Amino acid sequence: MRIDRTHKAWLVASLAIFGVALLVYAAYRVPFASGSMGGTAAGLAFGSIGFAFMIFAALLGARKRMPVYRFGPAQTWMRGHLWLGLLSLPIILFHSGFRYGHGLTAWLMTLLIIVVLSGVFGAVLQHYMPRVMTREVTMETIYEEIGHVRAQLLEEAEELIKHGAGVEKKAEVEGGEPDSSETAVAVMDEIAPLRNFYERELKPFLEKPGARGAALGDAAQARSAFAQLRTLVPASLHTTVEDLEGICEEERQLTLQSHLHLWLHSWLLLHIPLSLALILLGAIHAVMALRY
Amino acid sequence: MLFEELKTIQRQSDGTPVAAEDLLRLPVFKDISPQFLKKNANATVWRHFKRGDIVCREGEFGSTAFYILEGRASVALATPIAHVKAQGRPSGFLARLTSKLTSRLSPRQEDRREEEADRRSIPIDAPVDLAYDHPVAGLGPGELFGEMTCLNYYPRSATVRAETDCTMLEMLRNVLDVLQKSKPFRAQLDETYRRRALDSHLRDVTLFRGLHQDFIDRLRDRVELMRFAPGQVICKQGDPADSFYLVRLGFVKVSENYPGGELVLAYLSRGDYFGEIGLLGGGTRTAACSALDHVELVRISAEDFREMMDRYPEVRSGLERAARERQDSNQQRLHMVRSVPLESFLAQGLMEAQSLLVLDLAKCTRCDACVTACADSHDGVTRLVREGLRFENFLVATSCRQCRDPLCMVGCPVGAIRRRNSLEVIIEDWCIGCGLCAKNCPYGNINMHSFAAQAEDHEHPGQKKAVVQKKATTCDLCTEHAEPSCVYACPHDAAHRVEPRDFFAGTLGQRVGKTGSART
Repeated sequence: MRIDRTHKAWLVASLAIFGVALLVYAAYRVPFASGSMGGTAAGLAFGSIGFAFMIFAALLGARKRMPVYRFGPAQTWMRGHLWLGLLSLPIILFHSGFRYGHGLTAWLMTLLIIVVLSGVFGAVLQHYMPRVMTREVTMETIYEEIGHVRAQLLEEAEELIKHGAGVEKKAEVEGGEPDSSETAVAVMDEIAPLRNFYERELKPFLEKPGARGAALGDAAQARSAFAQLRTLVPASLHTTVEDLEGICEEERQLTLQSHLHLWLHSWLLLHIPLSLALILLGAIHAVMALRY
Repeated sequence: MLFEELKTIQRQSDGTPVAAEDLLRLPVFKDISPQFLKKNANATVWRHFKRGDIVCREGEFGSTAFYILEGRASVALATPIAHVKAQGRPSGFLARLTSKLTSRLSPRQEDRREEEADRRSIPIDAPVDLAYDHPVAGLGPGELFGEMTCLNYYPRSATVRAETDCTMLEMLRNVLDVLQKSKPFRAQLDETYRRRALDSHLRDVTLFRGLHQDFIDRLRDRVELMRFAPGQVICKQGDPADSFYLVRLGFVKVSENYPGGELVLAYLSRGDYFGEIGLLGGGTRTAACSALDHVELVRISAEDFREMMDRYPEVRSGLERAARERQDSNQQRLHMVRSVPLESFLAQGLMEAQSLLVLDLAKCTRCDACVTACADSHDGVTRLVREGLRFENFLVATSCRQCRDPLCMVGCPVGAIRRRNSLEVIIEDWCIGCGLCAKNCPYGNINMHSFAAQAEDHEHPGQKKAVVQKKATTCDLCTEHAEPSCVYACPHDAAHRVEPRDFFAGTLGQRVGKTGSART
């Protein structure tokens, strides 16, 4: 979600909650400066509020899985997730009196820090990456369709090579050359650079676009390779070369889209499981602390 | 027996080509050249059906027409006469929270939609129309059905079943084409039409329901039946208005010119009418009409039209009101089109849309929550795809955009898809689920929704069996809710339903003005 002016109300509310919490902490912390904060009334209040914020933030996942339920617009939940999730860290720090603790509490604190930091990292990515993707990947397709589109590109390139041979032969015949075996050999010679380029460079790139060292994966190198190819083939094949260059560009865009898509979503692989672990261990901590 | 000549013809087995000599003995083939029939020896075959046999089924594609020589057949629609309605649970706080939409079939008696056609009959590819309340009719000797399928390769519009043992001629397009030009054959078809269908066509025009039978009987002999080839101009914008037309067969494109191009106002199909605005107004045609395919029209002359207006003041006032409304909405549309400077949007058919789903790609994380929400809201069938045209950082997602040239409306064998005055597409209750509109939509915005239904079991006559039938649907903007599910479920504030004129001409238009041009 983009963090823009529409977040102003949430920012103000969060700062207000933080300010009040800080005042309360300062007021209560001084009398109990030497002892533990968690077991005091204020400490329990901080713990409860912080845990409630964490639960609310975690419920976003459930909300997303039930899109038809009218529990409020999903974007409101997302804003709450971002700001209350972020607030949970200082509130829990107030709850612990800035002590890291031992055993379960240490685990909890570690998890909370990782979850909040990964969340901030994700929020930053989701703030910037959509714009980068929109700007850089002009031929964007649906992510799940990328494999299918790649297969189509390869097929298209194969067709162009076959068609290129046909075009060259036709040009020779129209040029008045007899359609003899000698002409055929001449035609084969002229399209040989195109075929070689396809077999050695383009086909491997289209088959394994992510492979290291693929020259065509780099836009500048690809431009130079295609410019060189143009000098080796007759003018009648320049359109084919241009089309192949277009396919190559689309392939690079698909690769870039895949990478950006991974950046946009892969952090969730860390954030979500750790968040669930945090909620579970937080609940155990609350029960144990209240009971014992 | 209608064809006494049949007694002298040696009938061959089912599927055998009919000999040219045998065809020439039939009165309808008398004008056809024997050489043509000999050259096209395999283009007409004998078809024999036993009582209860199915001749053709609605929705199936075909390329032939049938001419009944002997016996009687029934023509009927097996599809439930109802439209797809997305419905939430009953009202109440909890119900609103869990308001999953379910798609169900709803007849117009239960759910009357805005501007839904008030037709009493359903147009089909036969010399008769079917009553809306009981879509079954009979066909007999001398009647032709399947013309539109044969001439234009549209799907069969209805199911035809032999009610008695039947003998028919099944013919290909080349034979039907030549037959259409034969005077005796045309005369017979025209006579059948005047006798059987003209009444229902006239009475299907809501405003003509007040006409007395004697006037219709008088019109029956006075109307002119006209034919137009594909692409032929019926009338031009600005031509003098000299007649009123009813569409008997085929599709008529109605369009208006404006400085930036052409706006298709409608595709009219069997049972629709046009020409009243010119006759009632300034005496000139306000729009151009042309035949999209093989078109047959019923022409009522200006003189008869005026007589009708004089004799039936209530018809006149109704027509005048309807013409005013149609003109106003046309003017609004043209104004809308003219006032927008972004030609590229027009070219993509976006500007005329009533509502578009726009994704702000600068905010969208490509999580597909909108697509999932749409599918979850509509029985697992999504009506939008997160792909489409891009303008700057906005993606116009694939969901019905009510195009300037609504190709989805071309070819519907029962004329069940049309647009409201607002340009929004409406699919009428008698959609037979053939899927042609979904195939024709260039943006893939029409979905076929499957439903369980009870249909007659052809293997066990008289019994019914559960079958899966389809109906076409388009995005309904989740009308049950204040906000469409796709927008409601977007966690990133990226999905918006927008009124395109304000959005593109205002928000984006200003930006485009500053930066030079829109990127498509």
